[in-house]
Amino acid sequence: MRCSYGFTAIPGTDARFFSPETSFLQLRRTFQPTRIKFGSFKIKAKIDEARKQMSFYELLGISETGTSLEIKQAYKQLARKYHPDVSPPDRVEEYTERFIRVQEAYETLSDPRRRALYDKDLALGIHLAFSARRRYQYDEDLEDRSEWKNRWQSQLSELKRRSVNRDAGGNMSWGARMRRQREELSKEL
Amino acid sequence: MAEPAYTVASDSETTGEEKSSSAFPEIAIGIDIGTSQCSVAVWNGSQVELLKNTRNQKLMRSYVTFKDDIPSGGVSYQLSHEHEMLSGAVIFNMKRLIGRVDTDPVVHSSKSLPFLVQTLDIGVRPFIAALVNNVWRSTTPEEVLAIFLVELRVMAESQLKRPIRNVVLSIPVSFSRFQLTRIERACAMAGLHVLRLMPEPTAVALLYAQQQQQMIHDNMGSGSEKIALIFNMGAGYCDAAVTATAGGVSQIKALAGIATGGEDFLQSMMRHLLPNFDNLFSSRGINEIKSMGLLRVATQDAIHKLSFEESVQIDVDLGNGLRICKQVSREEFEQVNQKIFEKCESLIIQCLHDAKVEADDLTDVIVVGGCSHIPKIKNCVKSVCKRELYKGMNPLEAAVCGTALEGAVASGISDPFGNLDLLTIQATPLGIGIRANGNSFVPIIPRNTTMPARKELVFTTVNDNQTEVLIIVHEGETEKAGENHLLGYFKISGIPPAPKGVPEINVCMDINASNVLRVLAGVIMPGSQQPVVPVMEVRMPTVDDGHGWCAEALHRAYGSTLDLMTVQKK
Repeated sequence: MRCSYGFTAIPGTDARFFSPETSFLQLRRTFQPTRIKFGSFKIKAKIDEARKQMSFYELLGISETGTSLEIKQAYKQLARKYHPDVSPPDRVEEYTERFIRVQEAYETLSDPRRRALYDKDLALGIHLAFSARRRYQYDEDLEDRSEWKNRWQSQLSELKRRSVNRDAGGNMSWGARMRRQREELSKEL
Repeated sequence: MAEPAYTVASDSETTGEEKSSSAFPEIAIGIDIGTSQCSVAVWNGSQVELLKNTRNQKLMRSYVTFKDDIPSGGVSYQLSHEHEMLSGAVIFNMKRLIGRVDTDPVVHSSKSLPFLVQTLDIGVRPFIAALVNNVWRSTTPEEVLAIFLVELRVMAESQLKRPIRNVVLSIPVSFSRFQLTRIERACAMAGLHVLRLMPEPTAVALLYAQQQQQMIHDNMGSGSEKIALIFNMGAGYCDAAVTATAGGVSQIKALAGIATGGEDFLQSMMRHLLPNFDNLFSSRGINEIKSMGLLRVATQDAIHKLSFEESVQIDVDLGNGLRICKQVSREEFEQVNQKIFEKCESLIIQCLHDAKVEADDLTDVIVVGGCSHIPKIKNCVKSVCKRELYKGMNPLEAAVCGTALEGAVASGISDPFGNLDLLTIQATPLGIGIRANGNSFVPIIPRNTTMPARKELVFTTVNDNQTEVLIIVHEGETEKAGENHLLGYFKISGIPPAPKGVPEINVCMDINASNVLRVLAGVIMPGSQQPVVPVMEVRMPTVDDGHGWCAEALHRAYGSTLDLMTVQKK
């Protein structure tokens, strides 16, 4: 049972609503408006508008070629600003929303596999809003849970290997190519 | 002139008032209520200080005695002898019983305690009573904790010479949200407001973050990120956490915890020493309680000694012609408890894996808690983590120091020397989700999600023309929904008749800054953009005592008529 939902519980991918010809782009567009705007935050709507246009890189305030160290540093810095424990008491709600977004950006970009996928979308011109790439996270959780008991270490290295292989494919985004180049340069030096 | 705002306090005990923003914020104190010992600490303006009771103790035994009209706890009361603890009038180990139902194995193993723990095995709270003048006087874990908390509060108030209201409490990782409400209830009964509940290893992680910061100030450490594994084992619970620390920010990468602790060592040793233990003590006469108590003290004593000696002589007269005279070696102790050590090991392995960290990535390995003195525990952690243990902390005081730091930080106190420039980014210790696809548990907020968090997932109906769905919210890690903790349930009605699988039921979960969980659910029909019925917003947990049989009752009443399934990919 676990297997099925890990893959299937993806908002907006249900084919019944969309003709098979629908491209990924259209699918997203038709899906987005049907998403229920949850939450009673009044400020949230405003941020939503502003954030929708922002990429994860812009959200973290780093360039698309940023290294994992830069991502981490940017995240920690923003966490110190937006985390509800340290934010000004009158702005806790607004900052909490921001913190959740920063967290999502950090989680995506700090994982090489998810970052490559995100970069691909970005290169295609899809400014995916918050949480649109949720499904990769679920796939990953699925792997984690079903197999952690047996030889998790070999699994981790397998993951790393796969993410490297994926980068080697022709479908690399500009950001991924730049990072690759940079890494190779630094190796030579 | 603005009209004065009158507000109603929330009915839910889980929520306190918002952060007060007075000019002189009150510093919240940190309390570590252990299964066997507890302590209080506070930020004194320049560092964390542990408070002492009138007997000059920093660590006080966690028990309440019902001997007199007014019950008294281990803060103020001195037992005349260790055996008094076993007279039936003293209640302890409440942390193992709070918020559990009488079908819980942890409750069943508590039946060997020298007071009354009665179970009917139907999913209600167990009956707990103390023996006072040959009368079983009933009480509850919340009441016992509250009595104890009042004593701690009085002690802190007299020393700090100010009223105490806000507290930060450390809690086991494996506590469900329902158990957290019980802890909050006990605090409310004691007139205390819970500012934060911190999983114990995360409190230790905060102390570690502060120590690393200080080392940079003293030019002894580097500013790079440090990854530490924290293993905490007390009398009742065992927790592990992985934290990534840099610049005073402690980010919790993963948490794992089980209800296994020193008490389990004790129980398996008692059964080892007296194989027909359960038969002998099945009836709970006064004599049985007494001999059970004698065995308990002798065994506890032996386990303590085995941490420092290779073998120990046990010689105890249990009365009724029953006498145990035995030499026990450390090796024997380790063999008898092999399973517990294995559990600890797999807990650490799981935690490292969840954090996506390998043993080689660890900078430090920290072992704290009462059981950290047991040599085999230290060896287990060392062998899994391939590293020597961190020495910069007092294993019995680390957690309470961490809660005191959090208390100061969360109260908005700042320190001119930057000692409070700290932040803990917490993660959810257990997954939260709903029952769907038959009796499966579908997590919406997975375990180890950074808090605050907001996640959503789409579900649909399982029957044609199904106009109602039942959202049953669980918390835990087991695939079967029924085996996880039940947090609450509610129904969405008024779904327009449609073939099964058509209505989109969007379930969103939201944990805010104060760790309050809200579940929101809305229904969307294809072609429409607006929810067809008002969105439901429910604060969880909503279940009260006796929640053990709720799920079963719901199933009996509705079968699968109100079921949900995840949206299938075609």
